[in-house]
Amino acid sequence: MLDLLIIGAGLAGLTAALRAVEAGLRVKIIAKGMGSLYWATGAIDVLGYLGGEERAVASPWERLAELDAGHPYRTLGDTRVRGAIDWFQQHIEPSGLGYRSADAHNLLTPSPAGAWRPTYLAPAGQRAGAATDDRPMVIVGFQGVRDFFPHLITRNLSAQGQVVRAALLPWSVLSEQRDRNNAQLAECVDDVHTQQRLVDALKLVVKPGERIGLPAILGRHAHAQALAHLQQGLKTDVFEIPTLPPSAPGIRLATALRQALEQRGVRVEIGMEAIGFHAEDGVIQWVETETSARPLKHRAHAFLLATGGVLGGGFNSTPAGRFWEVIFDLPLTVPQDRRQWFRPLFLDARGQPAFHGGVAVNAALQPVDATGDAIYANLWAAGSLLAHADPILERSLEGVAIASGVAAAEAVKTKSTAAVATMER
Amino acid sequence: MKKLATDILVIGGGSTGAGVAWDAALRGFRVVLVEKRDLTHGTTGRYHGLLHSGGRYAVKDPQSAIECIEENRILRRTHTHCIEDTSGFFVVTPEDEGDFPDRFQAGCATVGIPCEEVPLKEALRREPLLNPRISRVFEVPDGSADSFLATHVTVQAARQAGAQICVYHEVVGLLTEGSDGARRVTGARVRDVVTGEELVVEAMLTINASGAWAGQIAALADIPVRVIPGKGVMVAVNHRLVNTVINRCKMPADGDILVPVHTVAVIGTTDERVADPEMLNIEPWEVALMLAEGDKLVPGLSQSRILRAWAGVRPLYQENYTGDSRDATRALALLDHQQRDGVAGFLTITGGKWTTFRLMAEKTMDKACAQLGVDRPCRTAETPVPGVEQGYYWVGHRLHEVETERLQGDLVCECELVTRSMLEQAAANNPTVTLDDLRRDVRLGMGPCQGGFCTFRAAGILQELRMRTEETAPSNRAARPEEPAWSVAHMQSPRHAMHQQPATLAAGRSPLDNPNLLLRDFLQERWRGVTPVLWGRQLKQERLDELIYLGIMNIDHLPPDDDASPLTEFWQFDTTPGAGSEETT
Repeated sequence: MLDLLIIGAGLAGLTAALRAVEAGLRVKIIAKGMGSLYWATGAIDVLGYLGGEERAVASPWERLAELDAGHPYRTLGDTRVRGAIDWFQQHIEPSGLGYRSADAHNLLTPSPAGAWRPTYLAPAGQRAGAATDDRPMVIVGFQGVRDFFPHLITRNLSAQGQVVRAALLPWSVLSEQRDRNNAQLAECVDDVHTQQRLVDALKLVVKPGERIGLPAILGRHAHAQALAHLQQGLKTDVFEIPTLPPSAPGIRLATALRQALEQRGVRVEIGMEAIGFHAEDGVIQWVETETSARPLKHRAHAFLLATGGVLGGGFNSTPAGRFWEVIFDLPLTVPQDRRQWFRPLFLDARGQPAFHGGVAVNAALQPVDATGDAIYANLWAAGSLLAHADPILERSLEGVAIASGVAAAEAVKTKSTAAVATMER
Repeated sequence: MKKLATDILVIGGGSTGAGVAWDAALRGFRVVLVEKRDLTHGTTGRYHGLLHSGGRYAVKDPQSAIECIEENRILRRTHTHCIEDTSGFFVVTPEDEGDFPDRFQAGCATVGIPCEEVPLKEALRREPLLNPRISRVFEVPDGSADSFLATHVTVQAARQAGAQICVYHEVVGLLTEGSDGARRVTGARVRDVVTGEELVVEAMLTINASGAWAGQIAALADIPVRVIPGKGVMVAVNHRLVNTVINRCKMPADGDILVPVHTVAVIGTTDERVADPEMLNIEPWEVALMLAEGDKLVPGLSQSRILRAWAGVRPLYQENYTGDSRDATRALALLDHQQRDGVAGFLTITGGKWTTFRLMAEKTMDKACAQLGVDRPCRTAETPVPGVEQGYYWVGHRLHEVETERLQGDLVCECELVTRSMLEQAAANNPTVTLDDLRRDVRLGMGPCQGGFCTFRAAGILQELRMRTEETAPSNRAARPEEPAWSVAHMQSPRHAMHQQPATLAAGRSPLDNPNLLLRDFLQERWRGVTPVLWGRQLKQERLDELIYLGIMNIDHLPPDDDASPLTEFWQFDTTPGAGSEETT
């Protein structure tokens, strides 16, 4: 029997699985979809903004204590959060994606709207866009590409003092076919011939001393090779700017993690939507999934819920104001009154109350009821479904996923070790 | 100060004002139309889109019913491409009263509305989602209208006949001369809300076609006009649950019309008397009522994905009326202020409904001709507007063109099949100040993602278009048109847009220059429409939009600026603390 069944293949679920298998647990992931890494930037945000401040947080490690007392980072404590991020950085290193921080500080890279966005670990493909780099930039797009607009980016970066200009290359440099999303364009760039065409075209555009910003389409499977090819061919740094989903950098990260899990014998079963469960005496026995073939029961000693919040599909809600967790119907801290879910302004610096609530947990990341007792003896939770955080607003989405994923796996390991010890006695 | 002299000044760029400008221009008058925001920003752009057959009023208000069926026939000729020939059902649900269906049939016969009872089996075959407990179904020639397009092409027709159109021009004062008893309105002072410049429009006759705002305009000449602002709430469902307009066969009430409009279905509406026509807040009970009533027509409607809710304010008018807005007449009201108030040179046209806008214009201009002492017959009923050769709108037309022309790679808005060239042509072809104007032009952001992907794309594309315009016409402003061409008759056609010359933006300062403002304003305007219906799957969609605009774009930390657009002012109206909380009168 499995030691741990993880529900959800986002960053929290994948990270938890990697940490669990490293700790010697037998683990499997089931998930309804591919996970929300496919939508995000592929960078690891730990904490970008605090309390509606206009300026980005310089170093997350100096500011965690200012978060709400119930925030997952506060529950875990600075040391464990930082340890988890370091652990992640080590374990993603074999992928060749080259995740680095700026000397334990946030770095700022251009957003596709031309804002500087703070992140903590940036992959090698994005780091040359850093604001601290004093070289001028040329932002290069492709005529007719619908998700990347160099003139918009340069307008806003210029307004913030960056020396930058825009250029457009013909679409045909990338592909003969017009109907291509970012993930498909990235696949085109896997081809060395496309890479060479790109180098040849960019040579005509770039001026000496400029670094080159491109949409994040530099390879889906052969990213490191594509990046190296471009930088060697152009003799300058090239960086990607992640834009609308699907996100090639996010897909690369998800792929790298899944490969690391496969190498360790962990199965990731996609297309498995959990639709029910069975518990006896407060202990979950199995989780049921339904696929087109047949219902399946997944038994395990421990279960980790990492289905995401509203975005991942872990929560649902009704017009009557009911807001619930969809598999175990765990209580949520979201107000059960729809009039309290939203503020009048979309860009309210305090965020929307509907997105701030979630699953309340104890120090071991076990979902708890109103009295603080664990609801099920063998259930843990990790990722953006945790209460007292709004990871999108705080720009802590990946950091919360990693820190809680690692901590939950460790808590499961601790408990199973204790159980074995009890049995041996 | 700039001065304009004209025969007829029309105040209001909704369907009525556009109709009056068109009618007056066809009769050979010099015309200036002023509208404080975009065309159809008011009630015209906030209704459910029903082209009435008159069936709805056959029992309650036969005069309105006759006007509706006559105008229905005319608009099918003059505005064909703005209409989808959906036909309409009046259905008798188990809740509907006993003898009404027979009175309905008799009423239709009396006023001349073609009405046939459809066998239940046949009705359910055509509309399989209809409530199977319906007992009788009658078919009438209802239709589904695109009031955005219809008003734009009416204005294009007016302009071709010589009218001058000034959108984003707000009336700040009426010019009057003479003293009490012999006063006369001689035009208006108007402010360009984008540049802040004022101009004076002198007119032989000023026509107040400002709908729900008619009282505010008349007050500028100290004339009391008590419009009854009747707020109606509508809810859009993300599928065409039906392809036929569905009406409840009963006395008109709340939530008894379901209209297929383009790719969605709209259930409407409520009727609440409000204090101010800008008071467009939506209460939870209003949405709940629409969904509950919708379930009676199409069981399970309330469980579908709800895209958006919005409110429009009817310009109801009844002299000395104090009751509920639901029971106030829907008839048009033409106020001759010379007769009524002793003020010459000024007419108010209000009340009525979209279906009768042409008739309202005709009656207004008949009265105007009489006052000016000329005899010029109305020509609008026989004059098709530009673009009718496209035939009736049908829901597959965009997909068909996108597929045959292989434009999939150019889609900016996948939900509503808006291509890049459609967006560029619309921006260049009629005055465009905000992305919301482009929504009304080409349905940008009106689909399931509610602007999640296309808001960013539109801002980026317009920034490129601006750069391109400046590169191709460098420092030579004369090379750029002073005013947009107002060629809008085909703006819904991907194929037509593709074959046009590359778009060039007109000269002049515009909020379009600031893409950050475009983003902020449009996202906020979308937010206002989705918050009343955010739950379930649509809430998940909204969270994805947050991931995009906060997480990926970081648009809440763009370089600061103090720019504002007319749309900023509009959404600030009801996000200011305390707004909308006053008691309705």
